[in-house]
Amino acid sequence: MKHLKSALLIAILAAAICFPLYTGTYLHHTAANILIYTTLALSWDMLLRSGQISFGMSGFCGIGSYAAVMVCLNLGISPLLSIVLAGLVAGLVATLLGFAVLHLRGMYFAVVTLAVAEIFRVIVANLSVTGGTMGKLLPGAIFGGNSYGIYWLMLGILLLTIGLSELFERSRIRFALTSIRNNEIVARSTGIDIFKYLVFTFALASAIQGMVGAASAQINGFVMPESSFSLNFALLPLAMALFGGVLSTPGPVIGGVLLGIIDQVLREQIPYGHLLVYGIVLVVVVLFMPNGIVRAARVQIQRIRIQRIRPTS
Amino acid sequence: MKSSLLETKSLTVRFGGLTALKEVTLECREGEILGIIGPNGAGKTTLINVVSGIYFPNGGQIVFDGKDITKLPAHMRCRAGIGRTFQTIQLVKELSASENIMVGCLFGRGLGLREARRKTQELCELLQLPRPERYLAQLTMLEIKKVELARALAMTPKLLFLDEVMAGLSINETRAMIDLVREIGSRGVTICAIEHVMMVIKDLTERVVVLDGGQIIATGPYEHVCNDPGVIDAYLGKEE
Repeated sequence: MKHLKSALLIAILAAAICFPLYTGTYLHHTAANILIYTTLALSWDMLLRSGQISFGMSGFCGIGSYAAVMVCLNLGISPLLSIVLAGLVAGLVATLLGFAVLHLRGMYFAVVTLAVAEIFRVIVANLSVTGGTMGKLLPGAIFGGNSYGIYWLMLGILLLTIGLSELFERSRIRFALTSIRNNEIVARSTGIDIFKYLVFTFALASAIQGMVGAASAQINGFVMPESSFSLNFALLPLAMALFGGVLSTPGPVIGGVLLGIIDQVLREQIPYGHLLVYGIVLVVVVLFMPNGIVRAARVQIQRIRIQRIRPTS
Repeated sequence: MKSSLLETKSLTVRFGGLTALKEVTLECREGEILGIIGPNGAGKTTLINVVSGIYFPNGGQIVFDGKDITKLPAHMRCRAGIGRTFQTIQLVKELSASENIMVGCLFGRGLGLREARRKTQELCELLQLPRPERYLAQLTMLEIKKVELARALAMTPKLLFLDEVMAGLSINETRAMIDLVREIGSRGVTICAIEHVMMVIKDLTERVVVLDGGQIIATGPYEHVCNDPGVIDAYLGKEE
Protein backbone atom coordinates (compact mmCIF):
# COMPACT_ATOMS: atom_id res chain seq x y z
CA MET A 1 0.00 0.00 0.00
CA LYS A 2 2.85 2.33 0.95
CA HIS A 3 4.66 1.51 -2.32
CA LEU A 4 1.47 2.16 -4.29
CA LYS A 5 1.11 5.56 -2.63
CA SER A 6 4.74 6.46 -3.37
CA ALA A 7 4.37 5.31 -6.99
CA LEU A 8 1.20 7.38 -7.37
CA LEU A 9 2.90 10.48 -5.94
CA ILE A 10 5.90 10.05 -8.29
CA ALA A 11 3.53 9.64 -11.26
CA ILE A 12 1.61 12.81 -10.32
CA LEU A 13 4.87 14.73 -9.87
CA ALA A 14 6.20 13.51 -13.24
CA ALA A 15 2.92 14.44 -14.94
CA ALA A 16 2.99 17.90 -13.33
CA ILE A 17 6.59 18.52 -14.46
CA CYS A 18 5.93 17.26 -18.00
CA PHE A 19 2.59 19.07 -18.31
CA PRO A 20 3.92 21.92 -20.53
CA LEU A 21 5.49 19.43 -22.94
CA TYR A 22 2.12 18.16 -24.18
CA THR A 23 -0.01 21.30 -23.84
CA GLY A 24 -0.15 24.74 -25.42
CA THR A 25 0.71 28.26 -24.23
CA TYR A 26 -2.84 29.07 -23.12
CA LEU A 27 -2.94 26.04 -20.81
CA HIS A 28 0.55 26.87 -19.48
CA HIS A 29 -0.66 30.28 -18.33
CA THR A 30 -3.93 28.87 -16.98
CA ALA A 31 -2.07 26.20 -15.02
CA ALA A 32 0.44 28.75 -13.68
CA ASN A 33 -2.48 30.86 -12.46
CA ILE A 34 -4.01 27.84 -10.71
CA LEU A 35 -0.62 27.09 -9.10
CA ILE A 36 -0.43 30.67 -7.78
CA TYR A 37 -3.73 30.34 -5.92
CA THR A 38 -3.01 26.77 -4.79
CA THR A 39 0.29 27.90 -3.21
CA LEU A 40 -1.55 30.69 -1.42
CA ALA A 41 -4.21 28.23 -0.21
CA LEU A 42 -1.53 25.97 1.30
CA SER A 43 0.33 28.87 2.93
CA TRP A 44 -2.95 30.09 4.46
CA ASP A 45 -3.58 26.60 5.82
CA MET A 46 -0.11 26.46 7.43
CA LEU A 47 -1.05 29.36 9.71
CA LEU A 48 -4.56 27.98 10.25
CA ARG A 49 -2.97 24.93 11.91
CA SER A 50 -2.17 27.19 14.89
CA GLY A 51 -5.85 28.23 15.04
CA GLN A 52 -5.22 31.70 13.59
CA ILE A 53 -7.24 32.82 10.56
CA SER A 54 -5.54 35.42 8.39
CA PHE A 55 -7.17 37.60 5.71
CA GLY A 56 -3.91 39.42 5.12
CA MET A 57 -2.68 37.37 2.17
CA SER A 58 -3.39 40.11 -0.35
CA GLY A 59 -1.24 42.48 1.74
CA PHE A 60 1.79 40.20 1.74
CA CYS A 61 1.33 39.35 -1.95
CA GLY A 62 1.31 43.09 -2.63
CA ILE A 63 4.40 43.74 -0.50
CA GLY A 64 6.19 40.89 -2.27
CA SER A 65 5.26 42.11 -5.73
CA TYR A 66 6.35 45.68 -5.02
CA ALA A 67 9.56 44.55 -3.29
CA ALA A 68 10.49 42.40 -6.30
CA VAL A 69 9.80 45.15 -8.83
CA MET A 70 11.57 47.85 -6.79
CA VAL A 71 14.78 45.82 -6.31
CA CYS A 72 14.76 44.85 -9.99
CA LEU A 73 14.34 48.45 -11.15
CA ASN A 74 16.64 50.11 -8.61
CA LEU A 75 19.35 47.50 -8.00
CA GLY A 76 19.21 45.71 -11.32
CA ILE A 77 19.20 42.23 -9.82
CA SER A 78 17.81 39.21 -11.65
CA PRO A 79 14.03 38.53 -11.53
CA LEU A 80 14.55 35.13 -9.89
CA LEU A 81 16.67 36.59 -7.09
CA SER A 82 14.13 39.39 -6.68
CA ILE A 83 11.45 36.77 -5.93
CA VAL A 84 13.59 35.31 -3.13
CA LEU A 85 14.33 38.79 -1.74
CA ALA A 86 10.63 39.66 -1.90
CA GLY A 87 9.88 36.60 0.22
CA LEU A 88 12.44 37.77 2.79
CA VAL A 89 10.96 41.28 2.84
CA ALA A 90 7.40 39.94 3.32
CA GLY A 91 8.64 37.59 6.04
CA LEU A 92 10.43 40.44 7.83
CA VAL A 93 7.35 42.69 7.67
CA ALA A 94 5.21 39.82 8.99
CA THR A 95 7.64 39.23 11.88
CA LEU A 96 7.47 42.89 12.93
CA LEU A 97 3.71 42.95 12.46
CA GLY A 98 3.40 39.63 14.31
CA PHE A 99 4.95 41.12 17.45
CA ALA A 100 2.16 43.70 17.44
CA VAL A 101 -0.89 41.67 16.38
CA LEU A 102 -0.27 38.06 17.37
CA HIS A 103 -1.56 38.73 20.88
CA LEU A 104 -4.99 38.88 19.25
CA ARG A 105 -7.05 35.75 18.65
CA GLY A 106 -9.92 34.55 16.47
CA MET A 107 -11.94 37.14 14.58
CA TYR A 108 -9.96 40.03 16.12
CA PHE A 109 -6.76 38.76 14.48
CA ALA A 110 -8.59 38.01 11.21
CA VAL A 111 -10.09 41.51 10.96
CA VAL A 112 -6.78 43.18 11.87
CA THR A 113 -4.93 41.27 9.11
CA LEU A 114 -7.62 42.36 6.62
CA ALA A 115 -7.23 45.97 7.77
CA VAL A 116 -3.42 45.80 7.64
CA ALA A 117 -3.55 44.53 4.04
CA GLU A 118 -5.70 47.52 3.13
CA ILE A 119 -3.33 49.89 4.96
CA PHE A 120 -0.41 48.47 2.93
CA ARG A 121 -2.37 49.10 -0.29
CA VAL A 122 -3.25 52.70 0.65
CA ILE A 123 0.38 53.46 1.62
CA VAL A 124 1.73 52.05 -1.65
CA ALA A 125 -0.92 53.89 -3.69
CA ASN A 126 0.11 57.20 -2.12
CA LEU A 127 3.88 56.96 -2.38
CA SER A 128 5.63 58.50 -5.38
CA VAL A 129 8.54 56.07 -5.09
CA THR A 130 6.17 53.15 -5.77
CA GLY A 131 4.55 54.93 -8.70
CA GLY A 132 1.34 55.89 -6.86
CA THR A 133 -1.91 54.58 -8.30
CA MET A 134 -0.26 53.98 -11.68
CA GLY A 135 2.25 51.52 -10.24
CA LYS A 136 5.52 50.52 -11.90
CA LEU A 137 6.38 48.84 -15.16
CA LEU A 138 9.19 46.31 -15.58
CA PRO A 139 11.28 46.27 -18.78
CA GLY A 140 9.86 42.84 -19.53
CA ALA A 141 8.19 39.75 -18.11
CA ILE A 142 10.26 37.02 -16.45
CA PHE A 143 11.89 34.48 -18.87
CA GLY A 144 10.89 36.90 -21.65
CA GLY A 145 7.29 35.76 -21.17
CA ASN A 146 8.18 32.14 -21.99
CA SER A 147 5.18 30.08 -20.82
CA TYR A 148 7.27 26.97 -20.06
CA GLY A 149 9.50 28.89 -17.65
CA ILE A 150 6.54 30.63 -16.03
CA TYR A 151 4.76 27.30 -15.42
CA TRP A 152 7.87 25.63 -14.00
CA LEU A 153 8.60 28.66 -11.79
CA MET A 154 5.15 28.46 -10.20
CA LEU A 155 5.36 24.68 -9.90
CA GLY A 156 8.72 25.11 -8.15
CA ILE A 157 7.26 27.58 -5.63
CA LEU A 158 4.32 25.22 -4.99
CA LEU A 159 6.66 22.24 -4.49
CA LEU A 160 8.77 24.32 -2.08
CA THR A 161 5.61 25.19 -0.12
CA ILE A 162 4.49 21.54 -0.10
CA GLY A 163 7.94 20.60 1.22
CA LEU A 164 7.71 23.18 4.02
CA SER A 165 4.17 22.11 4.86
CA GLU A 166 5.25 18.48 5.12
CA LEU A 167 8.23 19.54 7.25
CA PHE A 168 5.70 21.17 9.59
CA GLU A 169 3.73 17.91 9.70
CA ARG A 170 6.73 15.71 10.45
CA SER A 171 8.49 17.90 13.02
CA ARG A 172 7.87 19.25 16.53
CA ILE A 173 6.09 22.23 14.88
CA ARG A 174 3.06 20.00 14.27
CA PHE A 175 2.88 19.11 17.97
CA ALA A 176 3.24 22.77 18.96
CA LEU A 177 0.65 24.12 16.50
CA THR A 178 -1.89 21.37 17.23
CA SER A 179 -1.53 21.96 20.97
CA ILE A 180 -1.86 25.74 20.56
CA ARG A 181 -4.98 25.30 18.41
CA ASN A 182 -6.50 22.92 20.95
CA ASN A 183 -5.93 24.84 24.19
CA GLU A 184 -3.41 27.60 24.78
CA ILE A 185 -3.40 27.25 28.56
CA VAL A 186 -2.47 23.57 28.29
CA ALA A 187 0.09 24.35 25.58
CA ARG A 188 1.81 26.92 27.82
CA SER A 189 1.73 24.52 30.76
CA THR A 190 3.51 21.87 28.69
CA GLY A 191 6.39 24.21 27.91
CA ILE A 192 5.35 25.55 24.50
CA ASP A 193 6.40 29.12 23.78
CA ILE A 194 3.17 30.03 21.98
CA PHE A 195 4.24 33.46 20.78
CA LYS A 196 7.47 32.15 19.24
CA TYR A 197 5.65 29.48 17.22
CA LEU A 198 2.91 31.89 16.12
CA VAL A 199 5.39 34.53 14.95
CA PHE A 200 7.50 31.92 13.15
CA THR A 201 4.51 30.38 11.34
CA PHE A 202 3.02 33.77 10.45
CA ALA A 203 6.38 34.96 9.08
CA LEU A 204 6.96 31.81 7.05
CA ALA A 205 3.43 31.78 5.56
CA SER A 206 3.75 35.49 4.73
CA ALA A 207 7.17 34.96 3.12
CA ILE A 208 5.60 32.35 0.80
CA GLN A 209 2.79 34.78 0.01
CA GLY A 210 5.37 37.48 -0.71
CA MET A 211 7.19 35.15 -3.11
CA VAL A 212 3.94 34.31 -4.88
CA GLY A 213 3.11 38.02 -5.20
CA ALA A 214 6.61 38.69 -6.54
CA ALA A 215 6.37 35.88 -9.08
CA SER A 216 2.97 37.15 -10.17
CA ALA A 217 4.42 40.66 -10.69
CA GLN A 218 7.38 39.26 -12.64
CA ILE A 219 5.01 37.22 -14.83
CA ASN A 220 2.76 40.22 -15.56
CA GLY A 221 5.67 42.66 -15.90
CA PHE A 222 4.05 45.37 -13.81
CA VAL A 223 2.67 46.26 -10.36
CA MET A 224 -0.40 48.34 -9.53
CA PRO A 225 -2.02 48.81 -6.12
CA GLU A 226 -5.42 47.52 -7.30
CA SER A 227 -4.13 44.33 -8.93
CA SER A 228 -1.15 43.58 -6.66
CA PHE A 229 -3.21 43.93 -3.47
CA SER A 230 -6.34 42.37 -5.03
CA LEU A 231 -8.72 40.76 -2.54
CA ASN A 232 -8.77 37.74 -4.86
CA PHE A 233 -5.41 36.81 -3.30
CA ALA A 234 -7.15 36.55 0.08
CA LEU A 235 -10.54 35.06 -0.80
CA LEU A 236 -9.95 32.52 -3.60
CA PRO A 237 -7.24 30.56 -1.71
CA LEU A 238 -9.50 30.44 1.34
CA ALA A 239 -12.29 28.91 -0.76
CA MET A 240 -9.81 26.43 -2.27
CA ALA A 241 -8.53 25.29 1.14
CA LEU A 242 -12.08 24.85 2.47
CA PHE A 243 -13.07 22.99 -0.71
CA GLY A 244 -10.20 20.51 -0.39
CA GLY A 245 -10.11 20.34 3.41
CA VAL A 246 -8.03 22.28 5.90
CA LEU A 247 -5.26 21.34 8.37
CA SER A 248 -3.30 19.11 6.00
CA THR A 249 -1.08 19.35 2.93
CA PRO A 250 -3.22 17.36 0.44
CA GLY A 251 -6.49 19.23 1.22
CA PRO A 252 -5.55 22.75 0.07
CA VAL A 253 -3.43 21.41 -2.83
CA ILE A 254 -6.13 19.11 -4.25
CA GLY A 255 -8.81 21.72 -3.47
CA GLY A 256 -6.80 24.41 -5.23
CA VAL A 257 -6.16 22.39 -8.37
CA LEU A 258 -9.73 21.05 -8.62
CA LEU A 259 -11.42 24.36 -7.95
CA GLY A 260 -9.02 26.04 -10.40
CA ILE A 261 -9.94 23.52 -13.10
CA ILE A 262 -13.68 23.82 -12.34
CA ASP A 263 -13.40 27.61 -12.60
CA GLN A 264 -11.63 27.35 -15.96
CA VAL A 265 -14.08 24.83 -17.42
CA LEU A 266 -17.06 26.88 -16.26
CA ARG A 267 -15.55 30.05 -17.77
CA GLU A 268 -15.35 28.31 -21.15
CA GLN A 269 -18.72 26.54 -20.99
CA ILE A 270 -20.85 29.26 -19.36
CA PRO A 271 -19.08 32.56 -20.08
CA TYR A 272 -21.81 34.72 -18.53
CA GLY A 273 -22.86 32.51 -15.62
CA HIS A 274 -19.73 30.72 -14.51
CA LEU A 275 -19.44 32.59 -11.22
CA LEU A 276 -22.99 31.58 -10.26
CA VAL A 277 -22.29 27.87 -10.82
CA TYR A 278 -18.87 28.22 -9.18
CA GLY A 279 -20.56 29.67 -6.09
CA ILE A 280 -23.18 26.91 -6.03
CA VAL A 281 -20.45 24.21 -6.24
CA LEU A 282 -18.66 25.84 -3.28
CA VAL A 283 -21.79 26.11 -1.16
CA VAL A 284 -22.77 22.48 -1.87
CA VAL A 285 -19.31 21.18 -0.92
CA VAL A 286 -19.11 23.24 2.28
CA LEU A 287 -22.66 22.17 3.27
CA PHE A 288 -22.38 18.45 2.54
CA MET A 289 -18.65 17.91 3.02
CA PRO A 290 -17.68 20.37 5.79
CA ASN A 291 -14.28 18.70 6.20
CA GLY A 292 -13.52 19.07 2.49
CA ILE A 293 -13.50 16.66 -0.39
CA VAL A 294 -10.20 14.99 0.54
CA ARG A 295 -11.45 13.83 3.93
CA ALA A 296 -14.85 12.89 2.47
CA ALA A 297 -13.08 10.74 -0.13
CA ARG A 298 -10.93 9.10 2.58
CA VAL A 299 -14.03 8.24 4.62
CA GLN A 300 -15.67 6.71 1.54
CA ILE A 301 -12.57 4.63 0.74
CA GLN A 302 -12.45 3.39 4.35
CA ARG A 303 -16.13 2.43 4.20
CA ILE A 304 -15.59 0.44 1.02
CA ARG A 305 -12.61 -1.35 2.62
CA ILE A 306 -14.59 -2.23 5.76
CA GLN A 307 -17.48 -3.53 3.61
CA ARG A 308 -15.03 -5.75 1.71
CA ILE A 309 -13.52 -7.14 4.94
CA ARG A 310 -16.90 -7.84 6.60
CA PRO A 311 -18.24 -11.32 5.83
CA THR A 312 -21.57 -11.31 4.03
CA SER A 313 -24.45 -12.57 6.14
CA MET B 1 13.92 18.79 58.07
CA LYS B 2 13.48 18.73 54.30
CA SER B 3 14.40 21.90 52.41
CA SER B 4 11.72 24.03 50.79
CA LEU B 5 11.05 23.53 47.05
CA LEU B 6 8.14 25.95 46.64
CA GLU B 7 7.28 28.96 48.74
CA THR B 8 4.45 31.39 48.17
CA LYS B 9 4.71 34.58 50.17
CA SER B 10 1.55 36.65 50.74
CA LEU B 11 0.17 35.60 47.37
CA THR B 12 -2.90 37.58 46.34
CA VAL B 13 -5.00 37.07 43.19
CA ARG B 14 -8.01 39.18 42.31
CA PHE B 15 -10.52 38.76 39.46
CA GLY B 16 -12.16 42.17 39.31
CA GLY B 17 -13.92 42.61 42.66
CA LEU B 18 -13.40 38.97 43.70
CA THR B 19 -10.35 38.08 45.75
CA ALA B 20 -9.58 34.46 44.80
CA LEU B 21 -6.43 34.21 46.93
CA LYS B 22 -5.74 36.50 49.87
CA GLU B 23 -2.15 36.69 51.14
CA VAL B 24 -1.55 32.94 50.86
CA THR B 25 1.77 31.91 52.36
CA LEU B 26 2.63 28.24 52.07
CA GLU B 27 5.60 25.99 51.68
CA CYS B 28 6.04 22.72 49.84
CA ARG B 29 9.07 20.74 50.95
CA GLU B 30 11.31 18.73 48.69
CA GLY B 31 10.12 15.12 48.27
CA GLU B 32 6.87 15.45 50.22
CA ILE B 33 3.32 14.76 49.09
CA LEU B 34 1.25 17.77 50.09
CA GLY B 35 -2.55 17.72 50.00
CA ILE B 36 -4.66 20.80 49.31
CA ILE B 37 -8.31 20.61 50.28
CA GLY B 38 -11.17 23.03 50.64
CA PRO B 39 -14.73 23.68 49.48
CA ASN B 40 -15.55 24.65 45.89
CA GLY B 41 -14.41 28.18 45.18
CA ALA B 42 -11.80 28.10 47.96
CA GLY B 43 -9.02 29.01 45.50
CA LYS B 44 -7.30 25.62 45.13
CA THR B 45 -7.14 25.58 41.32
CA THR B 46 -6.35 29.32 41.27
CA LEU B 47 -3.35 28.55 43.47
CA ILE B 48 -2.11 25.96 40.93
CA ASN B 49 -2.82 28.32 38.05
CA VAL B 50 -0.87 31.15 39.63
CA VAL B 51 2.09 28.96 40.60
CA SER B 52 2.21 27.35 37.14
CA GLY B 53 2.07 30.79 35.50
CA ILE B 54 -1.39 30.79 33.94
CA TYR B 55 -2.27 33.85 36.03
CA PHE B 56 0.07 36.44 37.43
CA PRO B 57 -0.54 37.43 41.06
CA ASN B 58 -1.71 40.89 42.08
CA GLY B 59 0.63 40.73 45.05
CA GLY B 60 3.13 38.48 46.75
CA GLN B 61 6.02 36.34 45.62
CA ILE B 62 6.58 32.79 44.36
CA VAL B 63 9.95 31.19 45.04
CA PHE B 64 10.68 27.85 43.36
CA ASP B 65 13.89 25.93 43.89
CA GLY B 66 15.47 29.02 45.45
CA LYS B 67 14.58 31.32 42.53
CA ASP B 68 11.94 34.03 42.31
CA ILE B 69 9.61 32.92 39.49
CA THR B 70 6.80 35.41 40.13
CA LYS B 71 7.24 37.09 36.73
CA LEU B 72 8.34 34.04 34.74
CA PRO B 73 5.96 33.01 31.88
CA ALA B 74 4.17 29.65 32.11
CA HIS B 75 6.32 27.79 29.56
CA MET B 76 9.50 28.84 31.41
CA ARG B 77 8.08 27.66 34.74
CA CYS B 78 7.29 24.34 33.11
CA ARG B 79 10.88 24.05 31.88
CA ALA B 80 12.10 25.06 35.36
CA GLY B 81 10.42 21.93 36.72
CA ILE B 82 6.76 22.65 37.51
CA GLY B 83 4.42 20.06 35.94
CA ARG B 84 0.67 19.79 36.30
CA THR B 85 -2.47 17.94 35.37
CA PHE B 86 -5.84 19.60 34.84
CA GLN B 87 -9.15 19.36 36.68
CA THR B 88 -11.04 18.64 33.45
CA ILE B 89 -9.55 16.43 30.74
CA GLN B 90 -7.24 18.56 28.61
CA LEU B 91 -5.72 16.18 26.11
CA VAL B 92 -5.36 17.12 22.46
CA LYS B 93 -8.00 15.01 20.72
CA GLU B 94 -6.29 15.21 17.32
CA LEU B 95 -3.20 13.54 18.78
CA SER B 96 -2.90 9.93 19.94
CA ALA B 97 -2.17 9.05 23.57
CA SER B 98 1.55 8.62 22.86
CA GLU B 99 1.69 11.87 20.87
CA ASN B 100 0.06 13.72 23.79
CA ILE B 101 2.78 12.40 26.06
CA MET B 102 5.41 13.34 23.47
CA VAL B 103 4.32 16.99 23.70
CA GLY B 104 5.61 17.00 27.29
CA CYS B 105 8.93 15.41 26.25
CA LEU B 106 9.43 17.75 23.28
CA PHE B 107 8.67 21.08 24.89
CA GLY B 108 8.76 20.60 28.64
CA ARG B 109 12.02 18.72 28.51
CA GLY B 110 13.40 19.89 25.17
CA LEU B 111 14.05 16.43 23.70
CA GLY B 112 14.33 15.66 20.00
CA LEU B 113 11.66 13.58 18.21
CA ARG B 114 13.50 10.25 18.43
CA GLU B 115 14.46 10.68 22.08
CA ALA B 116 10.92 11.85 22.90
CA ARG B 117 9.48 8.66 21.35
CA ARG B 118 11.80 6.52 23.46
CA LYS B 119 10.97 8.42 26.65
CA THR B 120 7.24 8.16 25.86
CA GLN B 121 7.58 4.40 25.49
CA GLU B 122 9.25 4.23 28.91
CA LEU B 123 6.50 6.28 30.52
CA CYS B 124 3.78 4.11 28.95
CA GLU B 125 5.46 1.06 30.45
CA LEU B 126 5.81 2.74 33.88
CA LEU B 127 2.13 3.73 33.90
CA GLN B 128 1.00 0.44 32.34
CA LEU B 129 -0.66 2.11 29.40
CA PRO B 130 -1.29 -0.45 26.64
CA ARG B 131 -1.57 0.48 22.95
CA PRO B 132 -0.65 4.17 23.29
CA GLU B 133 -1.29 4.74 19.59
CA ARG B 134 -5.01 5.00 20.45
CA TYR B 135 -6.89 8.31 20.45
CA LEU B 136 -8.82 9.96 23.30
CA ALA B 137 -12.19 8.51 22.24
CA GLN B 138 -10.77 4.98 22.49
CA LEU B 139 -9.42 5.29 26.05
CA THR B 140 -11.06 4.48 29.41
CA MET B 141 -11.26 7.16 32.11
CA LEU B 142 -8.35 5.60 34.01
CA GLU B 143 -6.25 5.52 30.83
CA ILE B 144 -7.10 9.16 30.09
CA LYS B 145 -5.98 10.13 33.59
CA LYS B 146 -2.80 8.12 33.09
CA VAL B 147 -2.06 9.93 29.81
CA GLU B 148 -2.51 13.30 31.56
CA LEU B 149 -0.19 12.15 34.30
CA ALA B 150 2.33 10.78 31.80
CA ARG B 151 2.34 14.08 29.87
CA ALA B 152 3.13 15.93 33.09
CA LEU B 153 5.82 13.38 34.02
CA ALA B 154 7.32 13.64 30.54
CA MET B 155 8.51 17.12 31.51
CA THR B 156 10.57 15.56 34.33
CA PRO B 157 9.05 17.88 36.92
CA LYS B 158 10.59 18.55 40.31
CA LEU B 159 7.14 19.61 41.52
CA LEU B 160 3.99 17.97 40.20
CA PHE B 161 0.54 19.47 40.75
CA LEU B 162 -2.32 16.98 40.54
CA ASP B 163 -5.65 18.75 40.19
CA GLU B 164 -8.35 16.26 41.23
CA VAL B 165 -6.67 13.45 39.36
CA MET B 166 -8.88 10.85 41.08
CA ALA B 167 -12.18 12.48 40.04
CA GLY B 168 -14.41 10.17 38.00
CA LEU B 169 -12.52 7.01 38.93
CA SER B 170 -14.07 3.91 40.57
CA ILE B 171 -12.83 2.72 44.00
CA ASN B 172 -10.48 0.15 42.43
CA GLU B 173 -9.19 2.63 39.88
CA THR B 174 -8.65 5.18 42.66
CA ARG B 175 -6.58 2.64 44.64
CA ALA B 176 -4.52 1.88 41.53
CA MET B 177 -3.97 5.60 40.96
CA ILE B 178 -2.95 6.16 44.62
CA ASP B 179 -0.30 3.43 44.24
CA LEU B 180 0.89 5.05 41.04
CA VAL B 181 1.17 8.52 42.60
CA ARG B 182 3.01 7.03 45.59
CA GLU B 183 5.41 5.30 43.16
CA ILE B 184 6.04 8.63 41.42
CA GLY B 185 6.65 10.30 44.78
CA SER B 186 9.12 7.56 45.75
CA ARG B 187 11.17 8.50 42.67
CA GLY B 188 11.87 11.91 44.21
CA VAL B 189 9.11 13.99 42.62
CA THR B 190 7.50 16.45 45.03
CA ILE B 191 3.72 16.21 44.69
CA CYS B 192 1.03 18.71 45.49
CA ALA B 193 -2.42 17.12 45.16
CA ILE B 194 -5.79 18.85 45.19
CA GLU B 195 -8.48 16.36 46.15
CA HIS B 196 -12.03 16.13 47.37
CA VAL B 197 -11.76 12.39 48.04
CA MET B 198 -10.64 12.32 51.68
CA MET B 199 -9.55 8.67 51.43
CA VAL B 200 -6.92 9.80 48.92
CA ILE B 201 -5.73 12.64 51.15
CA LYS B 202 -5.52 10.30 54.13
CA ASP B 203 -3.67 7.51 52.28
CA LEU B 204 -1.38 9.64 50.20
CA THR B 205 -0.37 12.90 51.81
CA GLU B 206 2.09 13.73 54.55
CA ARG B 207 0.75 17.20 55.17
CA VAL B 208 -2.50 18.97 54.31
CA VAL B 209 -3.26 22.62 53.61
CA VAL B 210 -6.89 23.71 53.91
CA LEU B 211 -8.10 26.67 51.90
CA ASP B 212 -11.38 28.52 52.36
CA GLY B 213 -12.41 31.78 50.75
CA GLY B 214 -8.92 32.24 49.29
CA GLN B 215 -7.19 31.94 52.67
CA ILE B 216 -5.35 29.16 54.46
CA ILE B 217 -7.40 28.13 57.49
CA ALA B 218 -5.34 25.13 58.63
CA THR B 219 -2.07 23.31 57.92
CA GLY B 220 -0.70 20.08 59.30
CA PRO B 221 -0.97 16.28 59.20
CA TYR B 222 -4.30 14.74 58.12
CA GLU B 223 -5.45 13.83 61.65
CA HIS B 224 -4.67 17.32 62.89
CA VAL B 225 -6.61 19.21 60.21
CA CYS B 226 -9.52 16.76 60.35
CA ASN B 227 -10.12 17.64 63.97
CA ASP B 228 -9.67 21.38 63.45
CA PRO B 229 -13.01 23.06 64.31
CA GLY B 230 -12.49 25.65 61.57
CA VAL B 231 -12.01 22.93 58.93
CA ILE B 232 -15.00 20.95 60.18
CA ASP B 233 -17.10 24.07 60.04
CA ALA B 234 -15.94 25.22 56.59
CA TYR B 235 -15.46 21.97 54.70
CA LEU B 236 -15.85 18.59 56.40
CA GLY B 237 -19.06 19.15 58.36
CA LYS B 238 -20.10 17.53 61.64
CA GLU B 239 -21.15 13.88 61.90
CA GLU B 240 -24.77 13.47 62.98
